[in-house]
Amino acid sequence: MAPKLLTSWAQLPPVFLLPDAFLPLVAKRGVKYGWTTAPARGKPARFNQKTAGLPVLEQSPAAALARKDFTLPLRTGALGIKKGMTALYDPDTGVRTPCTVVQFDRVQVVSHKTREKNGYFAVQVGCGWRQPQNVGRPLLGHFAGHGVSPKQFVTEFRVKNTSGLLKVGETIGPDWFMEGQFVDARSDCKGKGWAGGMKRWGFKGQPASHGNSKNHRTMGSSGASQGGGSRVLPGKKMPGRMGGNQVTIQNVKVLKVDAEKGLLVLNGCIAGPNGCVVKIQDAIKKPWPAIPAAVEEVKEALAATA
Amino acid sequence: MATPTHTLRPLACWKSILRHTRHQKVATRSLTTYHQNVTYSKFELPPPGAKPQGPKKIKVYPAPAFPPANTKEPLKALCADQIALLDPTGARTSLFSKTNPEAAKVGDILLVRLKGGDPFAGVCINIRRRGVDTGILLRNQLTRVGVEMWYKIYSPNVEGIEVVQRREKRARRARLTYMRKPKHDMGSVQNLVLAYQRSRSGLRGSGQKEEGLKGGKKKSVRGKKH
Repeated sequence: MAPKLLTSWAQLPPVFLLPDAFLPLVAKRGVKYGWTTAPARGKPARFNQKTAGLPVLEQSPAAALARKDFTLPLRTGALGIKKGMTALYDPDTGVRTPCTVVQFDRVQVVSHKTREKNGYFAVQVGCGWRQPQNVGRPLLGHFAGHGVSPKQFVTEFRVKNTSGLLKVGETIGPDWFMEGQFVDARSDCKGKGWAGGMKRWGFKGQPASHGNSKNHRTMGSSGASQGGGSRVLPGKKMPGRMGGNQVTIQNVKVLKVDAEKGLLVLNGCIAGPNGCVVKIQDAIKKPWPAIPAAVEEVKEALAATA
Repeated sequence: MATPTHTLRPLACWKSILRHTRHQKVATRSLTTYHQNVTYSKFELPPPGAKPQGPKKIKVYPAPAFPPANTKEPLKALCADQIALLDPTGARTSLFSKTNPEAAKVGDILLVRLKGGDPFAGVCINIRRRGVDTGILLRNQLTRVGVEMWYKIYSPNVEGIEVVQRREKRARRARLTYMRKPKHDMGSVQNLVLAYQRSRSGLRGSGQKEEGLKGGKKKSVRGKKH
């Protein structure tokens, strides 16, 4: 057998066996230059220990979770289908409120993401129904493993901790939200295709006359010349693909909840065409809604009284 | 490996002959007839002749029940609920209903009475039908300035809508935006409205009987007060 080339560094022989040419030419000991005002390090070999005298690392997963702690919702959101817009009138004051109607279509918890396994807590929620023959085997197995029917749309909602993990298979209806509470609604907005600077970024365009020739809607200059570095700065607003991206509308008021018809009526407009999927979760910039902790208990109580 | 045999074997050269036979011996020794099927897969192959097995069937759970009532067109259902609340008599709906032959149409002169504020009259140049959000666009001239106002027919602020004058012939357009052009502009409808109001007050003074008779011709529909 011909001798194989080493394919990875893991196959290198131990350092003491390597020829000198392989070892880095960096002196490790006896070098003393530079200075620091930080407290003296106890054991320099230990990385990021308390004794190391270094500030606590802020790039760790734990630190990231701690940062998000304040804004992560306590409970999961839900998926809805945008059905269209209309208006609600207050019979007493005569105030007209434009609203968006969102329908809940068999919204169920599909699975969980946990800190131990995935690094964060989230609830995977699906809605609608898809023909099993139109679902790939891996995804079909995922649904079957959790005892949930194949879903048309699946998304995940991050939650703060384990108490926000709604049970797998649990159905979420519009009564998951309360009338008067605020939610964040995110959906993919309408795609506008390849759009010019005027439409995409609101550029003013150029005058129709005064000697202007064949440049009425063009973007004009894209930056300074020699003084400005003779280059286009990164992030320069230019023509290109517009729309089709996810848009979050924050602090949308819930005007009406109709559990019987599976409808949620939201104040104002929501991004996207009719029939698009809307992700609805408690607004992060408002106090968390005081919703009865266990929906099941409420349902049971209601059933008992009825 | 066998060395090529020469066509002319030099008999005198014993050395080469012996080398040849030696090589042949080696070649025969390294030949083998032993053979065994070896698999490197983790899974055992099915025995020969067995029926090929398809992939394992995955269980599919049934979808939960879909909320039954009015799920196909929830927007319409919501609108119907709202209309039932805002227009219990059905007067507003019938005034702009497409099925009602007596309904107000584009080109008619309408008078909108408001809960707070002066009534507004004008030619209806557009009816935007959107369920509970249905609105009408009225055009008039105030102080010789063209004025257009949108009114939502189901708004509680709209107390009533009256038909002042019908258009003689049915308009052949859905939106009479051409009436904004000076050539087609009707101008102020103030005189027509005043005449209408005078006739109505006169009727009210003369008696109930005539009002009922005339009311059929010049239909006046009033929305219920809220």
